[in-house]
Amino acid sequence: MAGAETSSVTIKVEFSGGLELLFSNQRSHTLTLPAAVPTDNATTVPVPSTIEATKPADITYLIHYLRDHLLQERAELFEENGTVRPGILVLINDTDWELEGEGDYVVKEGDEVVFISTLHGG
Amino acid sequence: MSTSCGNPETEQDALMTRRTKFDKTKTSCFFPLISTRFRKTLGPTINNKRGNKGANARGGRIKGLMQAPGSLVIGHSGGLGSTVLLDLVAKSYFYRSSTSSGQLPEDSLSLGSEHPRNRARGEGDSGDVWKGTPAVCYVEVASVIPGAKERTEEVRAAVKAYSDPTTGFEIDFIPLRLEDAFDEGWWKTVGGTDLKQGARDLGIDINDEALPTLRQGSNIPTTPLQSLHTYLSSLPTPTAIHSAISSLIRVLLLFTAASRDASHLLLGTSLTSLSMNMISGIAQGAGFAMVSEGLEEAWIGKNDQNISIVRPLRDIGIKESAFWAWWSNLPVPGRDRYPSSVSSVPLGSETAASRVAVKQNQKLTSIDVLTQDFIMGLEKDFPSTVSTIARTLAKVTTKEKGVSGGCVVCQKPAQPDVQAWKASISIRSYHDEAFVKSKHPLPPHFTSPPDAGVSAASSPTNGLAPRLCYSCHTTFTSRSSRGIASANEVVVPLPVWVKASLPSSSEDTTVPESKDLQTGSNEDVAQAEVWETKKLSRGSIKDKIGAFLLDDAGDE
Repeated sequence: MAGAETSSVTIKVEFSGGLELLFSNQRSHTLTLPAAVPTDNATTVPVPSTIEATKPADITYLIHYLRDHLLQERAELFEENGTVRPGILVLINDTDWELEGEGDYVVKEGDEVVFISTLHGG
Repeated sequence: MSTSCGNPETEQDALMTRRTKFDKTKTSCFFPLISTRFRKTLGPTINNKRGNKGANARGGRIKGLMQAPGSLVIGHSGGLGSTVLLDLVAKSYFYRSSTSSGQLPEDSLSLGSEHPRNRARGEGDSGDVWKGTPAVCYVEVASVIPGAKERTEEVRAAVKAYSDPTTGFEIDFIPLRLEDAFDEGWWKTVGGTDLKQGARDLGIDINDEALPTLRQGSNIPTTPLQSLHTYLSSLPTPTAIHSAISSLIRVLLLFTAASRDASHLLLGTSLTSLSMNMISGIAQGAGFAMVSEGLEEAWIGKNDQNISIVRPLRDIGIKESAFWAWWSNLPVPGRDRYPSSVSSVPLGSETAASRVAVKQNQKLTSIDVLTQDFIMGLEKDFPSTVSTIARTLAKVTTKEKGVSGGCVVCQKPAQPDVQAWKASISIRSYHDEAFVKSKHPLPPHFTSPPDAGVSAASSPTNGLAPRLCYSCHTTFTSRSSRGIASANEVVVPLPVWVKASLPSSSEDTTVPESKDLQTGSNEDVAQAEVWETKKLSRGSIKDKIGAFLLDDAGDE
């Protein structure tokens, strides 16, 4: 029998490669996300109870959440068309997100998500 | 027995177990993989080629002694690739101390093979791979980028992290500034020849395609920084500015490496950056030199000193570099994008209007920026295409050899007969017969056709054009339809190495000054030799070659 579902998920988010400059110059953040979020990735907190179409919080939602609540400036340097801008790498628990399903990966309690910018060349 | 092949692309219900054994992102596999690739690229280039019988592919070690003919210099841009390159070089060939606690690693296996404690005693005395002390050279460019912060001290700290206090091992740090390219003091420190008195105040007129050399008259910039700003602000396009900055940095690194008797100059260009450089370079006419960019370049300095310019990360993508930096906890100082517009005076001393204009012009894009955005998008969706670009270019060769000495500005190989080629493929003046007949509208920044461009100093004997590669000549003379060039009447100062290479005839006092070029009222202007080119009509050409035509050529 499944245990009681939690209503929120706490994860750790880190930024590297200059991205931290867009997020209050802070490299590491601890976030608490709702376990169930709107399918359209609307990031109103708390999630209105009238919302019927929900999905588990995933990386795509996390990106929208970061853009709407933590990003201080120049959103176009982080997010583009609902995903991270080309040149930004994402690691989920030290694994390339391409191997975890990219934006569809459902975040779990204690996950560590790292965003690394490679837009500063060689 | 299951008949499923297990391929989820053909059978949606199929479960394909992820083979973690081959998962490159697992650090236990990742680090040896990248290290091996790095050493396989760099190893075969270390020994003098004459004695190299070929590299052992395993780790790039060569059978016998690995010994470079000179010292090692690493070019550091502050970016990701440079940071990773430094770490790989230190770990593979020298030593890297712990960054956090400063404690020496207990496990001597983490020390490089050339570390004093871990010297391999194989076949004979291994000694040091490179002679002398290795050095990292960083060129600060913040002085021309509005709002950029200086990163010299961050790079210095990153280099210092590789020092080993117990053995006294250190990597030298050589900070340079972009304006050193116009500084005689720097030129002397790297062993440059004294500038002839007549060459000191020479510049070029970029309004004339022959790029005649002129004295700067009363407008001589007083400081190297002023010269740099005058130089960059005079360039016609944002692409030209980016190209010029890259060339200046490259040559600063080369001459610095030469002054340390270096045999190798390492650059942290990753596979992704290499592909970007190739596409944007070819788009700017640098295809001739591009062939050597993918492989090992050789630059020959004075006294036949040979420096190999190697890009050991050319088989490592930018993504892999980022993972290496993250998992190794390497601080990346960062680097700013080059500006699209530069103030004609040093930052802080410009007028408010000029500051606003420069800031607005930063929105102008350049070939480099467009290429970077394109390649980054390409790598995301089609990652193999990036490596295909680099590998395709490695298959290309040139039809002819470059001119002796190469391009005097960028020090890269230069193809012969650049001017003749340009003359045969382009309309080069708004007074060309073909252009006038076409009744094509003028670009928006011209209200009437400009003067025919006959400069009194336009002479093949004292023009810089014949000594430039196609790309550098285009950098100086390309015309944007937006007409960004604002200092059209200024004589553009030259980098010190260019001045030093000008022939002794540059001391000739008949080289005119920059004043009165437009009106031609100066006596020197009136007496100087004037060259003019004009297109011959069909009838004139036929008269000249009529004797060689066959009888059935016919008249038209």
